[in-house]
This record gives sequence, structure tokens and C-alpha cells, in this order.
Amino acid sequence: MKKVFNFKNLKTIQKNKEGTIGFLLLSLLIVIALYTLFFIPSDTRSEWNNPLYWIDYPKNAAPAWINFFLSFTNNQLPEHVVLDQNDTVLASYTESDFSILNRTFSYSYNFNYFPSGFSIPFTLKVGEISPSIEISVQRPDGNEFLLYSNSINTVSTRDFVDNTDLLINSDPTPAIASQRIFSTSQEIRQSLNGYSQLFNFSLTSLPAEKIIFSNLDSNTPLKGNYKFIFTIYSFDNHTELQNVELIINGQVFGVLGTDEFRRDIFFGILIGTPVALFIGLTVALSATIVGLLYGLAAGYKGNKTGSFMVTIIDVFLSVPTLVIFIILSIHFGNSLLFLIGLFILFGWPGLALLNRTFSIQIKNYPYVEASKLMGESDLRIILRHIVPQLLPFTLANFALAVPAAILAESALSFLGFGDPSFPTWGQMLQDAHFSSAEILGYWWWIIPPGLMISITSMAFIFIGRSLENRFKINKKF
Amino acid sequence: MIKKIIVLFLVLLITLLLTIFLLGSTIDKIMLDSVRLQVINSLSDSIGENQRLNQFKDTAERDRFIEEQVQLQTKSLGLEEPWYSPKKIINSMIQILTLNLGNSRFSTTFSGSNNVNDLILEKMPNTLLLFTTSSVAVIIIGLIFGSYLATKEGRLSDKLVAGLASVSQSMPPWWFAMLMIVLFSFSVQIFPARSTPLISPNSPEYFGELLYHMALPFITLVILGVTSSIYYVKYIIMRILSEDYVKSLKTIGISRNRILFKHALKNAGPQLATMLGLGITSTLGGSILIEEIFDWPGMGNLFYNAIIQNDSPLIIGLVYFFTLIYLLTRFILDISLSIFDPRIKSN
Repeated sequence: MKKVFNFKNLKTIQKNKEGTIGFLLLSLLIVIALYTLFFIPSDTRSEWNNPLYWIDYPKNAAPAWINFFLSFTNNQLPEHVVLDQNDTVLASYTESDFSILNRTFSYSYNFNYFPSGFSIPFTLKVGEISPSIEISVQRPDGNEFLLYSNSINTVSTRDFVDNTDLLINSDPTPAIASQRIFSTSQEIRQSLNGYSQLFNFSLTSLPAEKIIFSNLDSNTPLKGNYKFIFTIYSFDNHTELQNVELIINGQVFGVLGTDEFRRDIFFGILIGTPVALFIGLTVALSATIVGLLYGLAAGYKGNKTGSFMVTIIDVFLSVPTLVIFIILSIHFGNSLLFLIGLFILFGWPGLALLNRTFSIQIKNYPYVEASKLMGESDLRIILRHIVPQLLPFTLANFALAVPAAILAESALSFLGFGDPSFPTWGQMLQDAHFSSAEILGYWWWIIPPGLMISITSMAFIFIGRSLENRFKINKKF
Repeated sequence: MIKKIIVLFLVLLITLLLTIFLLGSTIDKIMLDSVRLQVINSLSDSIGENQRLNQFKDTAERDRFIEEQVQLQTKSLGLEEPWYSPKKIINSMIQILTLNLGNSRFSTTFSGSNNVNDLILEKMPNTLLLFTTSSVAVIIIGLIFGSYLATKEGRLSDKLVAGLASVSQSMPPWWFAMLMIVLFSFSVQIFPARSTPLISPNSPEYFGELLYHMALPFITLVILGVTSSIYYVKYIIMRILSEDYVKSLKTIGISRNRILFKHALKNAGPQLATMLGLGITSTLGGSILIEEIFDWPGMGNLFYNAIIQNDSPLIIGLVYFFTLIYLLTRFILDISLSIFDPRIKSN
């Protein structure tokens, strides 16, 4: 007798351990969700699909912490560097009819790999006469390359380079010209071709950053201090440089790196958390309540009504759900509320069937029959006697229904039926698959979203299992 | 049994009705477009340039003629009625049920046919090959390890199997598939990342090549299913081993292995069959995602592409075939259960 008691005790503790892990995981998720909701404003959260918001970020950069592991072999990847106006050295002098303003960025570069590009955004206040700007670079070996030179025209709005963000005010003086010069720009590439005789190898098909940061005799990185000089020649007194930055795109960035669209993956993980929890909890709550009430009614009624109700459950359970989800989504489109409704519609029947079995058992308990004889109404019997008995079990079902909803949402998002105004982890994985991330080996884009889906599901599975076990031990069903 | 068949047939009809309701309007538009195209083509084919110029005074008259012809044809095809008229719906139902599925708009088979039936029949063997072999492998591995672990009372292995089963249930299978590609096609380049063989299906080496390309999806599906399979087999057999008749067999002195293989496994038959059936039906829906990720040339991949291209005739055809396979699997499962276990039939 004593032995049995010990064994049981052990088992409860073990189950509790599973529940504790689940609870800890859930608390972590809730903390992340609350942090996101309170500290990331909703208009920032909606910038996920806006390419302009992410323009300062590097493309396909790995997480920054991998440099820690690469440091053992001294093979660190270049980091992402943003130098703003305060990091520059200013020099200006005036000639008789024009003035020159120099802003010099110095960037010390000592990596074994090339950076993945650079961009120089600047904002100018332009007077009546168009100023002209010049960008050049002084390399550690003493060579100086002129990269870009052009005049800033306030009237014409021609595109200088691809991806240029050209925002020119058509108002009369003083106008604001805001522009961004990318390392991919044709002008830079063409002016670099002028220096091809310095290099001992062919420059064709090399991107600009692999030429600027390269040794002369072989195409390997040249370490040392680089000076990027941004020069303005202005011909009147109104021209004024408001802002200039130098962004060297690294191959590593942030906690979890960036994706093909320059988006910070860590940010995506954060904003996906409240959405996933919301979908999971809403669907599970509604499906459990509907399933409980329907199951109770079907079990309690018995007879023809009962068996008809069971047939309806059977029909729902025989449906190939994903196929139905797909054809409904094709027609009704990408809305979060629609998806939630869909998951509730197909989520309750399984729970109803389980609840029915138990309510048939409870219905035949003597005390239920006694209260029936005393003339209590059906509704009262269900609510007062049957529901409280099933509550712990329902709680377990609730927890176990959450992962199903989260997994279904991620699958539909992956198929392209996600709600674009609520970025989810499934949508991140869809983008990754569309950009062939798995073939190109961008593991930092694939692992985090899927891991978060798994962690969320696992938290609820653990909690649900431990609740179920406790219920089984108590009730001996 | 009859009730079961009725339910399954009802599900099939509801699914098809839903599909027609949701995609019917686009189908009509496609049909109308093709009728118009046909009329214009036949006009330019049948008569020469000069005759046509003589026949019609101006382009307006030619347009009127085309319009007349189109209207005549739509009437004969019954297209003038809206898709939601009962006659039309019954018509579409019969057409789908008799496999008159029409032509795909974008996809073609290897030999160039764009008939939906041909397309599906070309892809179906691949889907069946991948998913039945992996399901059977999962069950066999589950039986071997599950029955072995059921007789061993090891706490550590118990926990390990239960834990791994929870993990495999909580992660999206298609995400795991992506990870497998990163691991085995990028980091360690053993398998091709794209599972469609590049050589022609008619060449003799095709089948070998197909099997080589199948390796990674197969391994992925087996890893995904195997922990749950071991867990459930162990659970089923442990329950049977704790029943009274097994205990009395033990007291008679029959060896443990004999009890396990002769009595326990035999009695576990129905439950194991249920497991296999549920395994197949649940992976069938997932095949859309898994096949797309591996680019396996099966029905799921075809479905994914049909969705992306909004190829309505192909979508309808695939919905029909998927539902049919799904329901047939469930039906066969129910029949085999009632053969295994006569008690179910009498219930």
C-alpha cells in the first residue's frame, strides 16, 4: 500500500515538472508579447512590409554573435556600421565665387571578408543655383578614388540610381533635396572602371565594394583606415548640408540578422508573438466553449436528436481540413478574423465528441438522476452538475487546442493566405521560402520563426498534458 | 457501416458543392473566354482574308457576327444561366463526379497535355510512392522499437520517447523540412535541394534518379513520424500487456516474447491499423506544403502551384482527388477495423 502511494506521488511530481516547463515557456512568451505591445508602437509594428523603413539595414546579414565563434579562427565577418554627421571631420573654405564643404568619414576596416555594400544618404538645402557634390575615398595604400560626382538639380526629378529615394520639393528656394547613393549605382561602378589599370585583375562583374576595399594585386580585402570624403561645391549662400551618413552594410547584424528585404528578423520575432498568442487563445477559447456546450447537449439529449448531432460532428471530422481551408481562403482572402473564424469552425467538433462521452457517463450518475426526479430543469442540471465535473478536463482541452490553431495559422500563412497587416512567423517563413533561403543557407532566417512556433505549441502541449494527467489521477476516468 | 458510407459521401458532396460555390464564377468566366477565342479562331481559319472582307461591310458588322456566334454557343453550353442556378450546379456536380474536369490554364504534363485528369494521374503515383512508403516505414520502425520498449521498464527511455514525441508534434513539419534542406543540401551537400529529377521521365534511368531525389523527403517524413509512432505503439502494447489474460498467460509459463508476438501484437491490430490510417490521412493534407518545399513532383506540389496561379479547373480537380483519397483511406480503415474486430460492427 505504501509503495503504491510513493509511486503515485512520484508521478504527480514528474507531471508537475512537465507543467512547470510549459508554464515557464508560456511566461516567457507573455513577457515578450507584453514588451512588444507596450514598447513597440503599433505604427512601428506596421512598418514590417514597408521597404523604405528598412533601407538603412544590411541585406541577408547573419546574427552578430556568430563573430564571437568566428573570432577563434580570426575570421570575423564585417559588422554593420552607421556613421552619422557627428562622426565626421568638417573642412570648409571659400573661393571667390564658390565655397567647398568637406565632410570626411573615417572607417577602419580589418576583416577578411568584403562588406556587402554601402550607401550614403544625404539631405541638402538647395538655393537658387544647383550645387554639385562629389564622393571620393582615400584608401590605406594612399590611392584616392573619385566615386561619384553630380550636380543636385532641384527641378528635374530624374532617377540617379536604382533604388534611389529621390524626394525633391518643388517649392521655390530653399528646396530640400534628399537622396541616397548606393554602392550598386551605375555612376560609382563607371567611375571605378577608370581605375582598372591600377588593379592586377579584371574588374568586370565585380561589385563596387569588392573593388574599393580590395588589394591592388589580388582581389582580397585591404585592411586599414579608409576615408570617405563627401564634398559639396555650392555657388550661393543658401546651400546647406543638413545631414549626411555613411552606412557600410555588414555581413552580420543585430541579434538574429536580417533577411532578403533588409528586415530585422529579431523585430519580426517580437511582433509575431502577440499575434500568435492572440490567434491561439481566441480560437482555443471559442472552440472549447462551443465544443463543451455542443458535446454536453448531444450527450445529454441522447435519442434521435443526439445521434443527429453526432452525425454532424462526424461530417466535420471527415473533412480534409487543409483542402477546405485553402479553397475558403482563396475566395474570402487574407483577413485575420476570417482565419480565426475558420479555425473555430473546424476546431470544436473533436472537443464536442470527447465531451459527449463524458457527459453520457455523468448523466447516469445517481445524483444527476436524483436531481432530475426532483424536477430540476435540463439546463440547470447541465450547468450545475455536469459542467463543474468537466471543468478541469475542459481546461486541459483548451490548452491542447492552442497549438492546433497556431500550427494551422502558420501553415496557411506559408501558403500565402496570411493577413499582411499582422505579420506572423508563418509569413516570415513564407518569405524565406520564396527567396529560396533554405537553398542559399540563410539559417538565421529559417530557424527563429519555426522555433518560436514550436516553443509556443510546446508550452501549451506541456501545460495541457499535465492538466490532463492531474485530472485523470483525480477522477480515475 | 451504411451510415458511415452515407456520412463520407455527404462530406464529398459538401466539399464539391463548396468548391463550386466558391470557384464557380471564375470557372464560368474562363469558359466564356475560351468560347470567344474559339469563335474568333474559327472565323479566321475557315475563310480567307478576301472573303472575310467581302462578307462583312465593316468591323462593326464583324463584331456583331462574333457576338451572335458567342451567344449561340454559350446558350448551347448552358453558360447563359448564372453559376448558382440549381440546374447549373447539378450539371457541374455530375461533370466533376464523372471526372470531366476540363483543362488546366497553365500547367501541362510532360507530354504536353493540359487535361486536368492527365495532370493529376501523372503526379498521383509520386505522391502515393512517397507518402505510403514513409508511412509504412514509420509504422515498422515504431513496431520494432515500441514493442521493445514496452517490455523494458526504463524510465529514461520512457521520458525520452515521450519528450521527443511532444517535440515532433509541436513543430510545423514543413519547417522541419526546410531545416533538413539547409542541413543536407547546403551545409553537408548529400542530397539535391530540389527533388524533381532533371532528366526526362521516359528515359530508363528516370526511376533510379527519382528514388535518389526521394531520399531527403523520405528521411524527413520518417524522422517526423517515428517518435510519435514509437510512443503510441508502446502505449498500446503496454495497455494490452497489463490486461488480465496476459497476466494469466504469464502464470502458465509462456515466454515473454511469445506473449508479445503471438497475443499482444495480434490484439493490437485494430489500434495499429487506426494509427496507420490516421497517419496517412494527416500527412496527406501536409503533402501540399512538404511537396512544395522539396519540389517533389506530386499532387501536393501541383496543388500549391494551382493556388499560386489561381488555376481554377485544376484546383477543383485536385480538391476532388484529395477528398476522394482522404475519404477512401478513412473508409478502408473502417472496413478493416470491423474485420479485425467484430465487436465494432455489432456496435
